Amino acid sequence: MKKIFAYIKKDVWSPYIAGIVLGIVGILAVWLSNSLLGASGTFENFAGMVGQAAAPQLFDNIYFNFIMPPGISWSLVLFIGTFFGGLIGAATSKTLLWGKRESVNSDPQWKRIFGQQTWKRWLWAFIGAIILEYGAGIAGGCTSGLAISGGMLLAPSAFIFIGGMFASGIITALIIYRARY
Amino acid sequence: MLNYSIALGLGVLFGFSLNKAGLTKYSKIVNVFRFTDLAVLKFMMTALIISMTGLYSLRGLGLITFPAVPATYVVGNLVGGLIFGVGMALSGY
Repeated sequence: MKKIFAYIKKDVWSPYIAGIVLGIVGILAVWLSNSLLGASGTFENFAGMVGQAAAPQLFDNIYFNFIMPPGISWSLVLFIGTFFGGLIGAATSKTLLWGKRESVNSDPQWKRIFGQQTWKRWLWAFIGAIILEYGAGIAGGCTSGLAISGGMLLAPSAFIFIGGMFASGIITALIIYRARY
Repeated sequence: MLNYSIALGLGVLFGFSLNKAGLTKYSKIVNVFRFTDLAVLKFMMTALIISMTGLYSLRGLGLITFPAVPATYVVGNLVGGLIFGVGMALSGY
């Protein structure tokens, strides 16, 4: 029992153990609620909700009416839970940076490559996230919603997506890191 | 309401496992594309194997039916994946 608690408090687990936890969560999601895990679709549900309140004409299109209906979806609640889960995970390993100065830009590797400035980190994260969410919108899911949830149902789309993701990810990393690759 | 409680509980476990696998760190995400740290791949593939086996066994026993499988449209999935990878390597999330 003591050993288990000590392991929970570790900062980084073996990815295999954490993967088993996620696998069980994926099974339970289908078993208990007949739903799939996902993250990127949440933003579209939420954006649709805000958009239809702010500019109903602009958001009255096929995409928001049929493909991504706005509203408090199952995945939105899941997303809120994910936030707190990550918070609890960091708290148990005492790496929680809530309210601390370094929380805005904490990664030593990023600082080595791009420099110390926090605004740069935020700008690149913002640009990267726009590209990422746009790609997820086209493909029909992100790493969790399509690659993992689709993959566990053996959907061909998931494996095409994983292939594309790694191909361009490797090229982008090559360009960013150049000689340091 | 019960359905939302389940979502919240599973979400907490989901975030917890992501944090413990180190996927909340920029370096872990980028290093998988540099082949210096394959934690993301190990994590994803373990989760896939566990849930594939579990789900297909449960369906074989007649306990569950599958929800709508994510649609396959080759060009969309591939182009989306290609754009997604760029964003992932840039932002590290």
